[in-house]
Amino acid sequence: MLPEVVTDFLILFQMMCVVVVFAYLVTRTRFYPEVLEGGFSWKNQAILILIFGILSIYGSESGIDILGAPLNIRDLGPMVAGFVGGPVAGIGAGLIGAGYRMTMGGFTAVSCSLATVLAGLLAGIINLANRKRFPGLLLAVSGAVLIEGMHMGLVLLLSRPLPDAVELVSDAAFPMIAANAAGMFIFAFITLNLENERRTCRERDRYQAELQRKNAELQIAREIQESFLPPSLPTLPGYALAAESRPAREVGGDFYDVLGSPGGRVGLVIADVSDKGVPAALFMALSSTVMRASAAWHQRPRDAVSDANALICRESGSGMFVTLFFCILEPAERTLSYVNAGHNPPMLARADGSLSELPASGIALGADEGAVYEERSVKLYPGDLLVLYTDGVTEAEDASQQQFGDERLADLVKGLHDRTAGEALAAIQDAVAAHTGAAPQNDDMTLLVLKVGT
Amino acid sequence: MSTILQVAEERRGDIPVVFLKGRMDATTSPDAEAHINRLIDGGDRQLVVDLSGLEYISSAGLRVLLSGLKRLKSSGGMLKLTALAPEIQKVFDIAGFNRLFPIYRNLDEALGADPAR
Repeated sequence: MLPEVVTDFLILFQMMCVVVVFAYLVTRTRFYPEVLEGGFSWKNQAILILIFGILSIYGSESGIDILGAPLNIRDLGPMVAGFVGGPVAGIGAGLIGAGYRMTMGGFTAVSCSLATVLAGLLAGIINLANRKRFPGLLLAVSGAVLIEGMHMGLVLLLSRPLPDAVELVSDAAFPMIAANAAGMFIFAFITLNLENERRTCRERDRYQAELQRKNAELQIAREIQESFLPPSLPTLPGYALAAESRPAREVGGDFYDVLGSPGGRVGLVIADVSDKGVPAALFMALSSTVMRASAAWHQRPRDAVSDANALICRESGSGMFVTLFFCILEPAERTLSYVNAGHNPPMLARADGSLSELPASGIALGADEGAVYEERSVKLYPGDLLVLYTDGVTEAEDASQQQFGDERLADLVKGLHDRTAGEALAAIQDAVAAHTGAAPQNDDMTLLVLKVGT
Repeated sequence: MSTILQVAEERRGDIPVVFLKGRMDATTSPDAEAHINRLIDGGDRQLVVDLSGLEYISSAGLRVLLSGLKRLKSSGGMLKLTALAPEIQKVFDIAGFNRLFPIYRNLDEALGADPAR
């Protein structure tokens, strides 16, 4: 036989095991989280009353004498019901526990029964004061200690003969308070775990929904942008063209265009819209359409760009703008007349190894309604290579945020004058890729290359 | 180089000066945009933006400044820029924005100058 102190504590341990299992099962039901989140429907309250009323009965039934002092956890059920579901649930569960206690009789029947109902009520008031939320671990456990203290006070106040009440309280106060506080600790711990788990789940769900929305947006932006790029380039006797736009993960609104006209003149456009994502893609769609229409209408690049600017300005809310280079090639005369509206200057590599730029001379489209654009022209010679590009090329960064840079591009283009259009395009793309390595592509990279036949 | 944009504000007399430090790109610009919009919504009509700490500006950053300038101009105000590093100045020059914004060498010049320029 084990000594009495060991068997007593084994019984106490069993009692706590029952509480643990009970708490676990209850917190895994569907209604419990609902109640925790403030779903105090009549049905939920009724379930709480029933379940924690039964726990209260179990508390009475499992009551034992520990080292000669009576101990029970009758108040635990109503307290938890009150903490979780408010005063109605607390009192309801308390009434069930109290009714059962009354049938057990004894000189403390009235005070103990009353204390059980009050325990549920007080816990319910704490719940209300905590804005219908389950109180934290500390508040729940210290609340349980205070409520059990009140229980002891009621016994002293109501139970007679007084000397018996005093003796009972002096024996039972500590174990009663300790056992109920321990039971409350278990409930609070499991409940708060559950709340944490649910909060984490919600945050994860929200994050995933946000991610999905963002990915869908990226996809839409990419599709808009792609659908406004020319599907193929026209063939141009005596010249060769190559072009490619590589969108960044979040598209940057780059576009290029090659516009033929019946007279044999060919318009070339390269442009870069401010900002990124769907707004940039939509603004790109607008700008490219406006530029196509304006180029078809006007003979001179300056008029085409000025008109496009006026139209785009009307639509450029929140500061949206587009840098754009537009030129018209007269294939037979080998002249290029152009307007550079705030765009990175295209590079012209001559067959003799020299390099010149077609500098920006006007303001980006959409920024200033009254902008005036200057038209310039340049003579082309056999073997010349014209490279139009966007800043995604020159501002491509390696892992240490070093940009590819204008100078590196200029040096490279200078050496490409004897290549075909396609070779030159690939050489630039390869050089940029070698520079950036594994670093992510931050911006669209667009290249349009024109080679004059020899 | 940093990957963030620090937005700070100081009042010089009646005029709010917004200091932008770091990188102004599509990811970081919304903070600056919110700050500038808050000042304009709050009734400020003269704004100075100090770019001395700016290391990089993308088209998204230009858009935010242009948006502020357009809003202020439409209500009789002005947005001035000051202390542009050479590489930032170059971005403004290419886009033609140097013709749109009043740009000053330093804060004192920007604050001392006639608001209507």
